[in-house]
Amino acid sequence: MGKIFRYECRRLLWNKFFIGLAVVLLLYGALVLHAVTILGVAHTAPFSPWSFGDYLSRMLPLLWIGMLFFLTFYTSPKARRAAALTDAAPMPPRRYALARCAAALTGGALLSLLCMVEAAVFYVRMFGWCGWGSLLLPALATLLPALVFALGSGWLLGQIRPWLVYVWMAVPFLLAALPLPEALGLWNGSFFTACPLALETLDPAFVLPVAAAAAQAVLLAAGAALLAWGNRLRNITKK
Amino acid sequence: MKAMRLFPLELRRLLQSRLTWLMMALTVASPVLGLVLYKPADSTTMLSMYLANPALAGGAAGAILFGLLAIFELDRACRSRVDILTDAVVSPLTTALTRLLALLTAAVLTAGLTMLVWLPISAGLIGSVFTGADYVLAYLLLMGLALPLGVLAAAAAYQFTRRADLSIVLFIAFCALSLTVWVGDWQLCWLNPCVWALSDDFSNSRIFRSVAWMRLTWLSALAGVWTLSYLCIRQYGKGMLGSLARSARRIYRPAIALALLACSGAAYAAQPFIDRSNPDLTVMSFYEIPYAEGVTFVRRTAQVFPDTNAGTVTGRASYQFQNTSGQEQSISFGITPGYIISNVKANGTDVPFTVSGYQEYNEARLEVTIPAQEDVELTMEYSGFPQESLPTMQGGKELSSEYLCLENAALSPRVMNVLPGEAGYPAEIEITLPEAMIAIPFGSSRAEVIAENADGTRTWRYETNSAGGILYAGDYICEQIEAGGMTIEFYYGRKHQAVMEEAGAVDAVKAVVDYCTEHYGKLSYGAGDTLKLIQSRVAGGGYAANGASLLDEADFTIANLKDTSKGAVPGEIFIHELVHQWWGLGNMFDDSDGSPWSSEGLTVYTTYRIVKELYGADYAQKYYVDQWQQVVDDYYLNFYVRHPEYLEMLPEAERLNIAGSLSGVRRYNEMPLKILKAEQLVGGEEAMDQILHDLFNRELDPMYPYLTYQEFLDACHLTEEDLNLG
Repeated sequence: MGKIFRYECRRLLWNKFFIGLAVVLLLYGALVLHAVTILGVAHTAPFSPWSFGDYLSRMLPLLWIGMLFFLTFYTSPKARRAAALTDAAPMPPRRYALARCAAALTGGALLSLLCMVEAAVFYVRMFGWCGWGSLLLPALATLLPALVFALGSGWLLGQIRPWLVYVWMAVPFLLAALPLPEALGLWNGSFFTACPLALETLDPAFVLPVAAAAAQAVLLAAGAALLAWGNRLRNITKK
Repeated sequence: MKAMRLFPLELRRLLQSRLTWLMMALTVASPVLGLVLYKPADSTTMLSMYLANPALAGGAAGAILFGLLAIFELDRACRSRVDILTDAVVSPLTTALTRLLALLTAAVLTAGLTMLVWLPISAGLIGSVFTGADYVLAYLLLMGLALPLGVLAAAAAYQFTRRADLSIVLFIAFCALSLTVWVGDWQLCWLNPCVWALSDDFSNSRIFRSVAWMRLTWLSALAGVWTLSYLCIRQYGKGMLGSLARSARRIYRPAIALALLACSGAAYAAQPFIDRSNPDLTVMSFYEIPYAEGVTFVRRTAQVFPDTNAGTVTGRASYQFQNTSGQEQSISFGITPGYIISNVKANGTDVPFTVSGYQEYNEARLEVTIPAQEDVELTMEYSGFPQESLPTMQGGKELSSEYLCLENAALSPRVMNVLPGEAGYPAEIEITLPEAMIAIPFGSSRAEVIAENADGTRTWRYETNSAGGILYAGDYICEQIEAGGMTIEFYYGRKHQAVMEEAGAVDAVKAVVDYCTEHYGKLSYGAGDTLKLIQSRVAGGGYAANGASLLDEADFTIANLKDTSKGAVPGEIFIHELVHQWWGLGNMFDDSDGSPWSSEGLTVYTTYRIVKELYGADYAQKYYVDQWQQVVDDYYLNFYVRHPEYLEMLPEAERLNIAGSLSGVRRYNEMPLKILKAEQLVGGEEAMDQILHDLFNRELDPMYPYLTYQEFLDACHLTEEDLNLG
């Protein structure tokens, strides 16, 4: 399985699409950092967990698209035709799918890491600031549930109809336009601008309210469940 | 001919490629970047924001995308390793030409598609000042012509290098040069033309001509480079030079390349738009020319004939001097670069003259020797395309059937070294204009129609008293408003009528002039009982003189009139901009140091007072004082205000950007609050009105005529600390 995972990683990550995605992400990230993050959100420092979370929220739509784009490698009609051969391999299809999802998740994680490294370089260059430990929690809270959900939901939709993955790419933009309740503020980034103001202290430490944490946990669990469902659906379709 | 036969096949093949459609779709969508990310036109006119910026962004993105597509398509056969086969069937030269034609056709299709898609969006965003002509020209010149440039540059890079990776790097570097190093050079920035503003209410022919010139210069240059690269296409297993030697045997091929490059070089060198004024603005040598001894000015007449189609001016000027020196004298005139002087005669006899190569402040020096006679009548003719000084802010010398502004030497040569006679510098100007235009001398003079000509033009005449003089003309509407004991002649562009009516412009003018005249006094530059308020084409600022004042159209756009930092509704923004006639032009402020004390503080405060009088105290409190307070509270909580050391750590560009934004908050919100606090401390509105009245009418120091914060504090008998809001 390790060999397949490494092969899928090389297939996903060592091609011009990944490089193109990375370049677009870096360029967009630079724009966000220089135009928005540099001002700081909700009166906090540009390098506060809140401003960093806001930056990641703005990058999230592109990361979401990137993650779904990786999945199109496995759900496209061409990949489905090739599945007749791969499914004939002695490895159980579920493990094979798991290796592929892990490779896609690795791709998403690498893109996320790239964004975070870019922000870290920005902070060092602009402010000589390098207290990166405080940024870990907002990064995990923002990115992990969203990317796992993108993976699970995208995998499931790809099994139903390949083109649904492309439609699903528009979801973050839809969420950005919707007035979501406070607990779901992490889904469109409004959490990072509203929550520190509600705390009514200057430069508050990062806290994740219970409702928001629960929403993210549900999102993470839903992602994992959809992934499992997608795998099952694939097996049923095959039979 | 074979290329023409293959062209439909190649085009069909190109249009069947998914990559082509992806590039076309991205190009069609790319103007959206101009609405959110890339905004090189920084003026606030509607056409700048919603037409120029999207078209410029679309042009830059489209050129890059089509360049990459060109490289991808040219490399296709090589990548698939079938080039040996295809070259055996069709000459690689023919293939290259066919592919270029197909790519250019796809670019034309994309430009057309983009125009169709963005037409309703642009019309909706721009509103009542949208016109089809501006739209088509903007998309054709700012966007459409960028695509073939991208294709030619990328294709040339590939044909020279024959390597996709290397040509991509070269092409991207060429694009990056335009977007960075060449961004301020209007002739070199091939990808992103220097367009800082498009006018909503008047024409934009000047800026469009300038962009077209730049595009055609580059089109010729890149077509030449492409032709050279075409000669380098590898044939018969030869290398680049061997192939070049073989292809150049047909002599017309290198001849075409050289002719195109020569055309481009000539167009670059002989551009007619920008003068060669000394960039050091501290040098004012024309003001140091000694006066001609014993020569005094008697009278000037000029007949000016603008050609509104060509954007040129032709004129005849006559000057009468009294020369009591008994010697020949050299008279200096300032002329606008681009004008050619001819037929210079003194008392009917040809006299020698020279025009200096040196230029300063958009003027060249014309020197004429007048004879040693007591009464001298000097006549001359001038004609040409008036040039501008600022390449990154072109459009000031707009000359069309909708608008023109002829300032000083652009109207007629300006005498520089002759003392005024007993009557000063009397002048009689006649100008012949299209029927729809009205002539508005900037000042107290009044122009009258003296002839209606058979060609549909009208000749206007006015008298003035100055060595130079400014004339505005355009398709204007004039509203006569009685206010503040004087008649305001309010001139604005016909296309702006709907916006002005929506903003209640006439009522706003009346309210402001009544209020400010009553509370602060009459404007010092009002000529007797009349004042002309003239809306000018977007120029980045205004000025006032005896009997007239300018209103920049950018201050009265729909978007600006909805800027709630200046007032709650459009009518109030209009009030704000008009109050600047008192605080800004009537009384000047030194805004150069970025201090919170500027014309905005007193203007916003006065707007608040007028609104309070018009709509009541509650309304003014809610939409002005409470909003200032909220913004100021946010300002004091701002991270960089609390930790200025971090602001200092930032690179200069970022620091200036943030400091500018914070300075705006202080000028528009903190200072009005401080003035309001001062009002309470000095004893109320009446006491503050008296203080402001006295400040407005104080005796000015001609060396430093600005109203300072210290003068304001002294007049209020307060200190800076008294007005702290913390």
